[in-house]
Amino acid sequence: MMKTKTNNLSASFRDPSGFLFTRDGELYRQVNTVYAPEYDRLMSSGLYQKLVEGGRLIPHEALDVEPAAPGAHKILRPERIQFITYPYEWSFGQLKSAALTTLLIQKTALQFGMALKDASAYNIQFHKGKAVLIDTLSFETYVEGEPWVAYRQFCQHFLAPLALGAYRDIRLAQLLRVFIDGIPLDLASRLLPGRTRWNLGLATHIHLHASAQKRYSETALSEARHGRTMSKQALIGLIESLQAVIRKLTWKAGGTEWGDYYESTNYSEAAFEHKKRLVNAWSGKVAPKVTWDLGANMGIFSQEAAQHSGLVVAWDIDPEAVEKNWKKVRADKQTRILPLLLDLTNPSPAIGWDNLERASLGQRGPVDLVLALAIIHHLAISNNLPFERIAQTLAGWCTWLVIEFVPKSDSQVQRLLRSRKDIFPGYQREDFEAAFGRYFEIVERQSVDESERWMYLMKTV
Amino acid sequence: MIMLYLDPGSGSFLIQLLIAGLAGLGIAIGSQWAKLKRFFNRKKNKELTDDENEDE
Repeated sequence: MMKTKTNNLSASFRDPSGFLFTRDGELYRQVNTVYAPEYDRLMSSGLYQKLVEGGRLIPHEALDVEPAAPGAHKILRPERIQFITYPYEWSFGQLKSAALTTLLIQKTALQFGMALKDASAYNIQFHKGKAVLIDTLSFETYVEGEPWVAYRQFCQHFLAPLALGAYRDIRLAQLLRVFIDGIPLDLASRLLPGRTRWNLGLATHIHLHASAQKRYSETALSEARHGRTMSKQALIGLIESLQAVIRKLTWKAGGTEWGDYYESTNYSEAAFEHKKRLVNAWSGKVAPKVTWDLGANMGIFSQEAAQHSGLVVAWDIDPEAVEKNWKKVRADKQTRILPLLLDLTNPSPAIGWDNLERASLGQRGPVDLVLALAIIHHLAISNNLPFERIAQTLAGWCTWLVIEFVPKSDSQVQRLLRSRKDIFPGYQREDFEAAFGRYFEIVERQSVDESERWMYLMKTV
Repeated sequence: MIMLYLDPGSGSFLIQLLIAGLAGLGIAIGSQWAKLKRFFNRKKNKELTDDENEDE
């Protein structure tokens, strides 16, 4: 028999219940025999069916294929997520939705005699426009009297960043990038304004929780518990308390850099419409599975690309733009656009053990199509990036590229140059084409109507 | 003894017992309050649907 290549994925090695692996481009999940009773209960109790029907749990099929390691109970093939994202890339509303989904699943599981044994934000992904649990092995049999083993993790992964975003500063949610197991509660407690101590939910789930952790850090679990139990009704009360606290957390975005970007653009309606037509036509030509729209703002051009893409990831640096866009795609039931937060000049790094647990942005590519509209001047002038470096990086991220060149004479570029010395003699269209020509074949170029801007369709060489 | 693969934390366990107590009290008060409201409103509180549960 020919041996095919099997790769175990580093995102799933902590849990002895099983692990993910890929073989011949297919993704599988091995369920180990140690987890067999729990898996069988998930499937036979009706919990799996209930959660899958509600779109809360990723569906899978059990297949008769060769295990990747000894001790296999079942091999599952889960439905594929088009693009894996991480909590530090989510907007406030997305994190909130993921949190409420986790609590809803925990509550549903309890009805079926099971409970979530972990509550990691990394177990949630956005799939077909909705937050969904992707870890089929997250359930265990509920034992009456037991508190929620994942309570601490839930507070660190969800409650702490949401509370910090709502009460202190939305940028603090970026701490999730530093702390892979969620924001430590003592830190969240110190960063939150003092008035949150008067909020019963936050006072208990964060402030008091942090104090209890400190006080009992050296105490063994059995000693701390002293034989005390928690009734099922009390556990449901705890989950409902968390639901109530999280529902009340809101983030009202203030004025931002881009909030009124479309209103303050310097080009005409005709130019705007021409750009939209080009993005639509060129996306149609590429018919991409996944498109990244870099600097997507409210996703006007993402919508054009979405007509021809399996999924458009609408990246933007501005949390307000991402939040607004998320609310818009939810309202429109537009499941082919996923707004996400990203600083293009410092994209998501690879993090975790051996830097292998969570992939960097580049490692999650290359994608079929990248849109880079009205960002070249920000990269080249605001960030001093040579065209050559921009071209090289983009070539690593995609096969096809739709890019807009904004000339120096453009008022948006003049605005950037107002506050600094013009040290960019090489910022000319000829230089741009020469640099990109080393990494891409220029398939089409069009001057944008009623504007000095140019649009390009390029393909990596 | 159940096998735990996550460290639940002793403090996190204890705080749950405390909150459960408070929540139990809250639910008790809340349900009386709801009864009172229903009495005046003559309107049954609508159960939350799944979707309302998920988003605000």
